[in-house]
Amino acid sequence: MKKLYAFVWALMMLPAVAFAATPAVSFVNQLTDQIIQNVLASDKPKEEKLVEFRKDFTEALDLKSIGQFVLGVYWRKATPSEREAFLTAFMDFTTKTWADRFDMYHGQTIVFTGERESGKNQVYVDSQIQNNPPVEVIWRLREKNGSYRIIDIIVEGVSMAMSYRNEYTSFLQAHGGQVSALTRELETKSREFQFTDSLK
Amino acid sequence: MRNLTWIFVALGMILILGGCATKPTDPEQLRIYEQNNDPLEPMNRTIFGFNMAVDRLVLKPAAKGYRTVVPSPVRKGVNNFFNNLKQPVYFVNALLQGEGKAAGQIAGRFAANTFWGFFGIFDTASQMDIPVDKRDFGETLAVWGVENGGPYLVLPILGPSNVRDTAGIGVDSFLAPVDWALRHEPWLVYGVWGVNGFRVREQALDFLDSLERSSTDLYATMRSMYQQNRKKEIDELLKNPNMPESAPAYEFDFPDEFSDDE
Repeated sequence: MKKLYAFVWALMMLPAVAFAATPAVSFVNQLTDQIIQNVLASDKPKEEKLVEFRKDFTEALDLKSIGQFVLGVYWRKATPSEREAFLTAFMDFTTKTWADRFDMYHGQTIVFTGERESGKNQVYVDSQIQNNPPVEVIWRLREKNGSYRIIDIIVEGVSMAMSYRNEYTSFLQAHGGQVSALTRELETKSREFQFTDSLK
Repeated sequence: MRNLTWIFVALGMILILGGCATKPTDPEQLRIYEQNNDPLEPMNRTIFGFNMAVDRLVLKPAAKGYRTVVPSPVRKGVNNFFNNLKQPVYFVNALLQGEGKAAGQIAGRFAANTFWGFFGIFDTASQMDIPVDKRDFGETLAVWGVENGGPYLVLPILGPSNVRDTAGIGVDSFLAPVDWALRHEPWLVYGVWGVNGFRVREQALDFLDSLERSSTDLYATMRSMYQQNRKKEIDELLKNPNMPESAPAYEFDFPDEFSDDE
């Protein structure tokens, strides 16, 4: 039933795709529709939105690749259990960071404008959030076994992966390269988020 | 014109503090160091700390107060008004960049909003589908050949910049019509830029709050975001053939990255 609903929704959204939709574009289009409909534009309570968002987000992201990239040189130095713990904390924290920005949505729509190759098994999907002035969003996808996963989201030239990488590198430099210290920091900040949520 | 004073203050502080980071010898750390493009990091962090203190004590509370007291439509009008005041600066820069068409459009936007938009309070131009087009002197310098903005700089109050764009801010403030029109009333000029500061900060409230909550190193996050976003603007302007439609210039570049060993 839910699939059927998504399909009907996708059909309704077809005019938003300004050119022949490729599988990569359809993948992002479906995801953004889902998130706009079930999370951003929905009037469900915040907790439910967060659950829904976490689900969509986790399924769509190639978390391991992103985690590897954002830790940069420190990934290779970390032990398997440190990596595992970091990925869990990173995912939890990233979801909350984005959820924190739900309220900034004011009914904007997204238009897909193109697709380009970005390396082996990788594509960029170009899109624009209809605003004044419009906001350019590029989705970087990686294909594996015929399905796509997001490895980066680039908003007005600012790559999420690159920003996290620069931030975490700087944090780790100041903390003796200890990935466990970063994980603890993310967990602490994550708890603070819950605190601000309950205040709202 | 007033901003120019700040830039001299900033340059003075560079000389006084002389806060240079030591260049690392380890090749991996050296790569990070070069990518950050921030040889003055210790000094920049000091100014950043100063800015955060001023923000916490003055700017943020004032911006919050402004948001509470002034209703949204009025704030929109104020934003439109200040944006309109900047159009002559954008216009001159478009001309200096040799972009006649863009200059025409900016002039059109200015005319529409000044006359039909009641001195810029209403954004009539957007209803007429004249797009927003901002052009600063830092970009003009890039068009003239200064493609590399040089080391990262944090300016007092004004925030993230680089060497080229700091010079650009100086020239742009020299071009600002408000400063010329009110040059005999310095306090009025301070007042105008003060209100401008609050309304700019108000627009950034949600995003910066969220960034503060989410970043483990706000200085590094803002540096990264500024550098990436600025690079995109410059690349777009130069229509850099190596950078089609602002594709970011990094590869997921570790040999073991994206290994399929899941």
